[in-house]
Amino acid sequence: MNIVEWSLLAGVLTATAPVLLAALGGLICQVAGVFNIALEGQLLWGAFTAVVVSDLTGSAWAGVLGAITATLLFAGLLSVASVSLRADPIVVAVGLNLLALGLTAFLMRQIFGVGGTYSSPDLAGLPTLAELGLDLPVVGPQSPLVPVALALVAAAAWWLGRTRSGLRVRAVGQHREAAEAVGLRVGGYQHGATLVAGGLCGLAGAQLALGNVTLFSEGMSAGRGWIAVVAVMLSGVRPGRLLLACLLFGVAEAIGFRLQGVGLPQQAADAAPYVITLVALVLAAVAGRKRRGNEGEAL
Amino acid sequence: MSEFAAELVGVSKRFGPVLANDGIDLAVARGEVHAVVGENGAGKSTLMSILYGLHRPDAGHILRSGTQIRLRSPADAIRHGLGMVHQRFRLFPGLTVADNIVIGAEPVTGARLDRAAAHRSVTDLSDRYGLRVDPAALVGTLPVGVRQRVEILRALYRHAEVLILDEPTAVLTPGEADRLFEVLRTVAAGGVAILLVTHKLTEVLAAGDRVTVLRQGRVTGRFTTADTTADDLVHAMVGRSLPTPVPRRATPDAAPALDVRDLTVRDADGVTRLSSVSFSVRPGEIVGLAGVAGSGQRELIDTITGLRDGGDRVLLDGTPIHPGRDPRVAYVPEDRHARGTAPQMSLAENLLMGEQRTLATRSGLPRAAVRERARDLVARFSISAASVDVPISALSGGNAQKAVLARELSRGSRVIVAEEPTQGVDVAVRSRVHALLIEARDQGAAVLVQSSELAELRELADRVLVLFEGRLVAEFGGDATEAQLGQAMTGVSA
Amino acid sequence: MKVLSPSVVAVAGALALTTLVMLAVGVDPALAYPALVRGAVADGNLEYTIAAFVPTLGMALAFALPLRAGEFNLGGDGQLAAGGITAAAFALLVPLPPVLAVVVPLAAGTLAGGLVAALAAPLSTRLRIPAIVSTLLISAPAVSLASYLARFPLAEQGTGIAQTPRLPEHAHLPALTEAGYVTIGLPLIVLLTGLWLYADSRTVLGYEIRATGQNREFAWYGGVRVNRVAAYALAGGGGVAGLVGGLIVLGPPYRFVDGALTAPGYTFTAVAAVLLASARPVVVPVAVALLTFLQVGGQGMEREAGVPSQLTQIVQGLIIVIVAVLATVRARRGARA
Repeated sequence: MNIVEWSLLAGVLTATAPVLLAALGGLICQVAGVFNIALEGQLLWGAFTAVVVSDLTGSAWAGVLGAITATLLFAGLLSVASVSLRADPIVVAVGLNLLALGLTAFLMRQIFGVGGTYSSPDLAGLPTLAELGLDLPVVGPQSPLVPVALALVAAAAWWLGRTRSGLRVRAVGQHREAAEAVGLRVGGYQHGATLVAGGLCGLAGAQLALGNVTLFSEGMSAGRGWIAVVAVMLSGVRPGRLLLACLLFGVAEAIGFRLQGVGLPQQAADAAPYVITLVALVLAAVAGRKRRGNEGEAL
Repeated sequence: MSEFAAELVGVSKRFGPVLANDGIDLAVARGEVHAVVGENGAGKSTLMSILYGLHRPDAGHILRSGTQIRLRSPADAIRHGLGMVHQRFRLFPGLTVADNIVIGAEPVTGARLDRAAAHRSVTDLSDRYGLRVDPAALVGTLPVGVRQRVEILRALYRHAEVLILDEPTAVLTPGEADRLFEVLRTVAAGGVAILLVTHKLTEVLAAGDRVTVLRQGRVTGRFTTADTTADDLVHAMVGRSLPTPVPRRATPDAAPALDVRDLTVRDADGVTRLSSVSFSVRPGEIVGLAGVAGSGQRELIDTITGLRDGGDRVLLDGTPIHPGRDPRVAYVPEDRHARGTAPQMSLAENLLMGEQRTLATRSGLPRAAVRERARDLVARFSISAASVDVPISALSGGNAQKAVLARELSRGSRVIVAEEPTQGVDVAVRSRVHALLIEARDQGAAVLVQSSELAELRELADRVLVLFEGRLVAEFGGDATEAQLGQAMTGVSA
Repeated sequence: MKVLSPSVVAVAGALALTTLVMLAVGVDPALAYPALVRGAVADGNLEYTIAAFVPTLGMALAFALPLRAGEFNLGGDGQLAAGGITAAAFALLVPLPPVLAVVVPLAAGTLAGGLVAALAAPLSTRLRIPAIVSTLLISAPAVSLASYLARFPLAEQGTGIAQTPRLPEHAHLPALTEAGYVTIGLPLIVLLTGLWLYADSRTVLGYEIRATGQNREFAWYGGVRVNRVAAYALAGGGGVAGLVGGLIVLGPPYRFVDGALTAPGYTFTAVAAVLLASARPVVVPVAVALLTFLQVGGQGMEREAGVPSQLTQIVQGLIIVIVAVLATVRARRGARA
């Protein structure tokens, strides 16, 4: 019985990591006052570029770096369009998500000559912690990016709370005009946040395609970027709470996956993370509304 | 080195058709409190925004201690020793007082913020100038007067040698205002040049050393307060000695059109915003509503207009108000952009709101009728617009405000509620707006006007009610002095 | 730039960028584009293009109608699937006389799509959860549920394919062409589009929806019941999506095939088309026609020139981004003038 539960924990961590990394990017954007709903497309783009680079070089770590770089560039499109040119960030994000979907499916056919799913012995996956000599039986075979993700959450909390640039990013997001009035370059911080989110989504994509599995399939982000957006909404822009929200998703996915083994239809497993995320969102909003009382009732 | 800390030389700035500043010269010396006065729309705020790098002048230049400087942003202005306390505070509600003050020039050790040093600096400054604040408090939880202190401390922390204050007393009680002026004297005594922007003459004479008066974008007078009277200033401000008195009509004996009975309103946190407020407005009278911002005006007006449920405490001609929007009440909201208009919709469609169901026929909403009605209102209320099909955002502020009034007054409502009806409009529009409200009153409407400008209430109102901390604390006739009103607004019973 | 509408600029810009993508990956545009055009209009392909135009235009309404009220409906797939499976269930399980056998399933599908979308309304208006997030989150389980129903309770026995049995003859949509791909769905959706255009510009509800979308506080203060209006708009949009699902299922191959409703990507082609029309409703059908042309032509291009048809998704994504950028550039120019 023990073993079952430990392996469930392993499943939860594996399912949580990519969402958490993407959500952390979303949170930093939110703190800086950028509504970033392009996480889904960036996550997919990160997964794809990680696979391409890993396949070409035979190195998973090169794949990770490649994904970070490529997704940073992709996020640059969002940054230029919505921060520099002040285009509607929602519309731009919808376009970029679609672009990522089309671009990855198109390029996969051009580069690998297959549609649907690509996997190959040439494709190097990330090693497990055990293979790196870090034997942690409790958490199961995890990629090194899982502890990296957890460490980044702690780092983000420290950065936002304790450093000068963290303070300034928070200020920019709280009150744009006030930030300008004290001489902060609002655009610069928002560009920075958007690009950091791109890098984190690249990392998330690498974990998804080279850590959780070792393959690329069309649309493999499968809504995780949207779950990340919800996690940001649930977090109240606090990294600790963001971790909890992402773990909730991880639990839902891991349990759904497990229940499939005992005869629950796959569709229920597919739906479970969305349903649980939605329920959590609604409960949080109801609680928030109770706290606010009927202030917004009339509108 | 020049004796002046800052000089504006021949500054002009145009916004579309409006020449907001027209060749203005202004010089402020170290250690002086220099008042800049003028009516709404006279160009004061534009001029100060130019001096703080928020706008760039079309012509003219700025000297700082005799040297010409170029300001492309507030960051430039701060670097040149300029500081500004904005009318709408530029503070971060979710950050502490200390963080708000040091941001932009934070003490750090490595990448890390040195919060202890920040707190020390803030405490030092607040002791030196007698500006009491708690460095650890979250700004969002502080009362308005304390927030203003935070803004002043921020400018001082950044070593401002020229301190601009834009209408600093608009949000203060008269007592708080007096304390502010003491602080400003202390700051000036330390060699800082202070520019005090206001339209309140009593303040100018009490706190200023010299005065520059603006009217319609030009300088119309320069005075030394020691040998100036309020009359001189009024003359320079409005171009005539005294505002023309508005003929008043005796309060009629008719039954009240609007009757508020023992209204109590609590907000989401259970805080009482209005307690046991009772008053009535009769047809044919204008009742003014005065009070320091946040005294319950918002809640009272939202309840009267039906936007907030007031149970059966608000009666219109003896029957309770309909929740939602009651068509028997015309409402001119304070915020034209957020509430009064849909900026991207056409003028015609903005003028339509509220009447869409009356204009509808069985086949829908005929465009011709919508336009026809709009053209009629444009003509009757002399709104100047290229056509009724342009977005209302293309109109000037004054014309947009006239459009809002046109829409509301044309419905023939029994009760008219107007919030800050002349905020941000020029003198001509202001008198037109006043004339329209008076005309509505003379035609038998019951009018309630809320304004933070006591002069406006004195000009318009037959009676003035004063709200203080959610209670109705005083009622005056239309001839109340500003001093009487000011006392009541601070809770000193008359 | 003054004479060219932003839509034209966006399409031209997107095509230019797409050509660059082609050149970058070694595809000859001189082969690809003619193949694309032939794929859309030549050799009877026009019928497929028209057949694809119908659901895309319907999904454009499903997105545009709530958008007018300021609500982003990205959950089209779920509403489409819910409508489709509901229509299939009614057609299979309820014995109905000829005309009703078409009308009842379509009505049931419309209702189902509307209900799925309406779920997002109170979340948006009462709990402030943006519709763009909630519609998407609701969409995924709705698609899963439809998929489950098609695979298990409603599945065709013995084939092992995830689909329902063929619907009874009475429930087939009357065809307008010999091959049967163009059905009365075409005039129906065109009629609905016309009604929407009329309602949008010349009815009280249309006015109130637009006012709600432009400035919710303004509409609220003007006495419009904004929550209700937003809910109507979302439900109306979802209803059209559900109807589209019904039309697909009641057309060839006359059954609900798992994934067949969502795989062609009608939802996001429609989103791209509506955004391309940039707030001018009358342009929506034109934009839909153009993007459908690209979409169907893309498949021809894949067959003929070996260029993956996903290229058209790239075009759509680029169009949306360019339109968004042009909108602000134009607004800023307007503000300066």
